[in-house]
Amino acid sequence: MDTQSYMPVPPGVGTEENFFSLDDILLSQERLPCRTEMAFPRLGFLEKSNDSQDIPEGTKMEMPLWLAKGLYERKRRVLAVELPKMYREGWRTVFSADPTVVDLHKMGPYYYGLGSQLLHFDSPENTEIAQTVLQTFIGRFRRTMDSSQNAYNEDTSALVERLDCLERALFRAGQSGLNGFQSWEKGRTSHLTASNLVINYRKRKIAEVQS
Amino acid sequence: MSDVLSDAGDLSGEEESQEDVLTPAELIARLEEAWLNEKFSPELLENKSEMVECVMEQLTHMEQNLQRVKKGDLKAGIHRVEIDRIRFVLSSYLRSRIQKIEKFFPHVLEKEKSRGDGDPSFLSPEEFAFAKEYLANTETYLKAVALRHMPPNLQTVDMLKAVPEPCLDSFVFLRVKERQENILVEPETDEQSEYVVDLDEGSQHLMRYRTIAPLVASGAVQLI
Amino acid sequence: MFCEKAIELIRELHRMGDGQLPAFNEDCIRQVLEEMKALYEQNQSDVNEAKSEGRSELIPTIKFRHCCLLRNQRCIAAYLYDRLLRIRALRWEYGSVLPATIRFHMCAEELEWFNQYKKSLATYMRSLGGEEGLDITQDMKPPKSLYIEVRCLKDHGEFEIDDGTVILLKKNSQHFLPRWKCEQLIRLGVLEHVMS
Repeated sequence: MDTQSYMPVPPGVGTEENFFSLDDILLSQERLPCRTEMAFPRLGFLEKSNDSQDIPEGTKMEMPLWLAKGLYERKRRVLAVELPKMYREGWRTVFSADPTVVDLHKMGPYYYGLGSQLLHFDSPENTEIAQTVLQTFIGRFRRTMDSSQNAYNEDTSALVERLDCLERALFRAGQSGLNGFQSWEKGRTSHLTASNLVINYRKRKIAEVQS
Repeated sequence: MSDVLSDAGDLSGEEESQEDVLTPAELIARLEEAWLNEKFSPELLENKSEMVECVMEQLTHMEQNLQRVKKGDLKAGIHRVEIDRIRFVLSSYLRSRIQKIEKFFPHVLEKEKSRGDGDPSFLSPEEFAFAKEYLANTETYLKAVALRHMPPNLQTVDMLKAVPEPCLDSFVFLRVKERQENILVEPETDEQSEYVVDLDEGSQHLMRYRTIAPLVASGAVQLI
Repeated sequence: MFCEKAIELIRELHRMGDGQLPAFNEDCIRQVLEEMKALYEQNQSDVNEAKSEGRSELIPTIKFRHCCLLRNQRCIAAYLYDRLLRIRALRWEYGSVLPATIRFHMCAEELEWFNQYKKSLATYMRSLGGEEGLDITQDMKPPKSLYIEVRCLKDHGEFEIDDGTVILLKKNSQHFLPRWKCEQLIRLGVLEHVMS
């Protein structure tokens, strides 16, 4: 249906990022544990734990993904990127035992996105990470899909709360399909309604007046 | 007019002498096909501006006829409904195109630029003008608000890289209008290898758009 | 860390996931631009030093700052671009005249973009043939019946239907009107479509 006029730039597929995507920008803000393998002179003020002028070689610090990606080089050792704990072996074992019990929102919320992005850094564990991320998705997909198609009959809030961002988007797509189908079944597709945007603006205006 | 009509000839596999037999009903059927294809394909399809022109003419013609019918005549109501329905399909079709042009404007314009002399244009002249204005307007805006205040090496954004391309790997539903043999299907996983399928006339499939894009363009399959 | 202000811009838009347009955050943009200026100047001077005095150990720092510059540029550009998508949506939902409360949230250049967009779209729609062209921002849903039952949600004044008849749209009044004349008013919440 072409009733939703605001269509944001979608996140990139796989290891790609879309330059204008707000989701991808937020994903690339996720922090990664890093160790510097070169000194960064005159940037010492960014690291509160030391009071030198420089960030010395061998400093352990957290960096946002965008910065780690920008500084990382395959040929020159500038930076070593370590794995966040949910991608390490310990958690990988938990994920492969039963992916449905994990709260991916709390652990993520960009579990799949960040997992795919980690593949940019040549970790020896890359193959295992990719495998786990994929298997986790497959293992959880069925439930996400089923519950999005049953939204009228049971309370899904507990389940949705534990979904990763990508899964939430899928869940919403499933629900909107279901809603469309049900409105067609009831013969309501020709029902004209007020624009959601207009309604929400009005709500905001009322809230502003009241406060 | 000639393009739409010769298209009709191609489809039925007959000679171009069949030109003037495209009835209003056939025209509307053609519009509905174009509409569904455009609605479900991830990329912008070839423009059908001559068909659009014909439908617009048809609508005007029907409106005029309606003026002549007496008020309160039952026929008038039926005609009105028919006009509304055609106008809805036509608007929805053109709307899908404008949406895709806005969504992919740098790529749409790039494709137009690199088009060979004899190749058909994906954009109608009016859509082309719209896309160019959209690009210029957006670039002017970005520049005026922020980019010109940035350091010299950061004052431009490459729109071709910044605006995402259509995702040709998305899956589409389709119905086969002309039997196809030996369609090469790319593997989905590392364990699979590529394979070929035959598509029987009238059969329905769910496939990657990329695989069947040429068949949509030629009219051998219909997106549904 | 650098680029903290820039991500604030993005968060602000992301929070309004339904496409509403928050007030243009000029102050935040100015701060990001200032940070960029500072980063650029520091880099210029370090680049000169690295070149003239052969201090290649400065290169990682220069690269660090350059990444931050690119990040800031991306965040601002994405902020502005996403706002355009929201402003575009307003044309389709509200029509070509925007309520003052919404215009108040736009900067001068955004109003200019909106006016230009409006013009391009109008030119395109006029070109489609017929006497007045074709308004493709109407007919958003498939029609089923010619006339529909509507209830008036607020006083709107006089309203002319096709055949020249004028009716008064008074709050709570109910009418049986040609569907295509009502679409815009229903979208704006003036009329409500009553289904039997």
